[in-house]
Amino acid sequence: MNKNKNSLEANNRKSVAVTAVIFLLPVILFLAVYVLYPIIDTFVISTYKWNGISANRDFVGLKNWKRLLADTKFWAAFWHNIVIMVVSVVIQIPLGLALATFLNFFTKKVRISRVFKTVWFFPYLMSSVAIGFLFTYALATNGGIISTISGWFGGQNVDLLGNPKTALLTIILIVSWQFTPFYMVYCMAGYSGISDDIYEASVIDGATRGQYFWKVALPLLKPSLISAAILSMVGSLKYFDLIYVMTNGGPGSSTELMATYMYKFSFSQFNMGYGSTVAGGMFILITAVALLTMKGLNRGGEE
Amino acid sequence: MKRKQAAALGLAAVMAVSMCACGNSEKKESKSEGSGASDEKTITYWNIGTEDPDQSILKSAVDYFNENSDSGYQVEMTSIQNDKYKEKLVIAMSSGECPDMYTSWTGGPLQEYIESGYAQPVTDLYKEKGLDKIYMESATAQASFNDEIYAVPILNVAISGIFYNKDMFDKYGLKEPETISDLENICETLKKNDIVPFALANSTKWQGSMYYQGLATRYAGLDDFRAAFDGSGSFDAECFKYAGEKIQDWVKKGYFPEGVNSLSTDDGQDKQLLYQEQACMFYSGSWYTGTIKSDSEEFYNKLGWFPFPEADGVDKGAEYASICNGTIGDQFISFSCKDDKLKAAFDCVSYYSTEESINNMVDNGKIPPVAGVQEKLSDPLSLEICQFAESATDVQLWYDQYLPSSVANAHLDSCQELFGLTMTPEDACAATQAAMQEYIADKE
Repeated sequence: MNKNKNSLEANNRKSVAVTAVIFLLPVILFLAVYVLYPIIDTFVISTYKWNGISANRDFVGLKNWKRLLADTKFWAAFWHNIVIMVVSVVIQIPLGLALATFLNFFTKKVRISRVFKTVWFFPYLMSSVAIGFLFTYALATNGGIISTISGWFGGQNVDLLGNPKTALLTIILIVSWQFTPFYMVYCMAGYSGISDDIYEASVIDGATRGQYFWKVALPLLKPSLISAAILSMVGSLKYFDLIYVMTNGGPGSSTELMATYMYKFSFSQFNMGYGSTVAGGMFILITAVALLTMKGLNRGGEE
Repeated sequence: MKRKQAAALGLAAVMAVSMCACGNSEKKESKSEGSGASDEKTITYWNIGTEDPDQSILKSAVDYFNENSDSGYQVEMTSIQNDKYKEKLVIAMSSGECPDMYTSWTGGPLQEYIESGYAQPVTDLYKEKGLDKIYMESATAQASFNDEIYAVPILNVAISGIFYNKDMFDKYGLKEPETISDLENICETLKKNDIVPFALANSTKWQGSMYYQGLATRYAGLDDFRAAFDGSGSFDAECFKYAGEKIQDWVKKGYFPEGVNSLSTDDGQDKQLLYQEQACMFYSGSWYTGTIKSDSEEFYNKLGWFPFPEADGVDKGAEYASICNGTIGDQFISFSCKDDKLKAAFDCVSYYSTEESINNMVDNGKIPPVAGVQEKLSDPLSLEICQFAESATDVQLWYDQYLPSSVANAHLDSCQELFGLTMTPEDACAATQAAMQEYIADKE
């Protein structure tokens, strides 16, 4: 055995380890304080009966968790989240991809692509609260856009947000309007990773634009699309802001999501213990869904 | 490829986490009593006076105190919009940053604050300043729990009643109704003339709940409600079914604006219907006298007021018709600070009960909850409201403030669904009762 070489290697490994620790330390500390600790604390609080403001809290063991399992409202909220998730992925990513593809074909015509890029990106720049207010007025039953258009054709006023059957879908469409630009940019970044040579090569080989898109670009974009899908799914499962601003879970509880449900218990019903249980339940469900999809998509990717 | 997936997994996990984290981070330190936020000589004061006249009325005491007090304390006032305020206050308390003085509507929430140590008893100070003689007994009673006074009623006799457009009543030959069927006839006439009978914006839910309370109270008085509240009765009682059925009947007949559950009262969409003369009546709290007056004095003079009318064919109908739903005081200031700071804060609040301040409130269309306020009122509407309130045989605070929060929430949700015709009256009763039972079981 060459003793010298070994010690060199060990030395090298050691210095790499030291550097790694130094570079990772801040991040680890940050994650521990702001991510790990709150998660653990959430689960700890979920075993207490606590109103959230009092200094005393009573240990109740798994009582809150038993209640959560039997809580039909929570599972209804989870179902709403699943609906948002599915519809969001189905609408936002294909639409984002389509817009990005359009822009990619027009990269040569700088002016056109710039105009569209700006206009399409605009919704994503607005804050959710502003969007909420905007659409509350735009969709007003009396004098809103949809009602006015319906009036031109002799129809009646349309109450999209006040009707439990349409409220959730309406909000999903608004969410899609807001987030499609994000996936557009995501796909554009994916496109810029595909070298021009590939496009030129496929054109020389006689590929049409359609063939290039389906046979060449799409497979190359697949990894980006998969992470976009996961982002969108996780985002949908923990969705909160627009619902909070526009319907606050109403009418009745037809647009209640897990996050708004958690918020209500924690901050307006004096039940931080159960609110934390809902948060814990969310954490478990979201992680499970994310892991399952990742597994499913990866298997698809390896075929 | 693999690395990208790993990165995506990491990202997904972090995103999944961040929500839970946000719901639950900062508290723990709630053991530090009172405000930990600002420095020692500042008294933080939270209220909901985001609009005039309330804002200037509430501010007057702060200004007076800051200029004239030799206590060395300064009061810093923050106003937060009503529906957001309720949540913000809880968040502040849960992170141990409770304001030194804050407003509430008493009822269930104040009881929570008291039990958690965020409201100090002020009985001695209250008596020392003679406030028990100045304020109406019913107002002081509303601020008392277990024989101690925990809050100062400052603002308004706020009871529910119906504002109506007098011009429209004249035009269609209508009179103030005596009974609910009279009221329904009025609605029919208005409907025929393409006027929405009631201006109502129910996205915040508590506005619609007033109809429910009015109907239930007129039908069976308060015994059923109070029995349901203490657990000896139930929200399945006849009067609650009656209220639910009437509401749905009225919705079907078109007595409310279209899309009533998506209109927002925080954006003033109910007032707009009234102002634009698209709607004729407005069943709401009497604090609107001040709001409407400051929006347009001219329009205000067009308004008349009557209490919710008597139910038909009920034995004690006349007696039930003299019960008020509402609050004698509206805004109640409670204190989380102690000792000298409490004294200073109380000094500041007691300015609201001075002659000068009360006159100012009256001028701004308020009915301060002080004894003998009737003599000060020149405005006919306020006088009528005040007379009704003072002659009331009983007063019941708004359900959504009086009930424990989880029950209040169940009531508001189911009541909103009644307006949306997506829940039957029986189911609405059952939902509220289920929440009540859960609450009682939890207490034990």
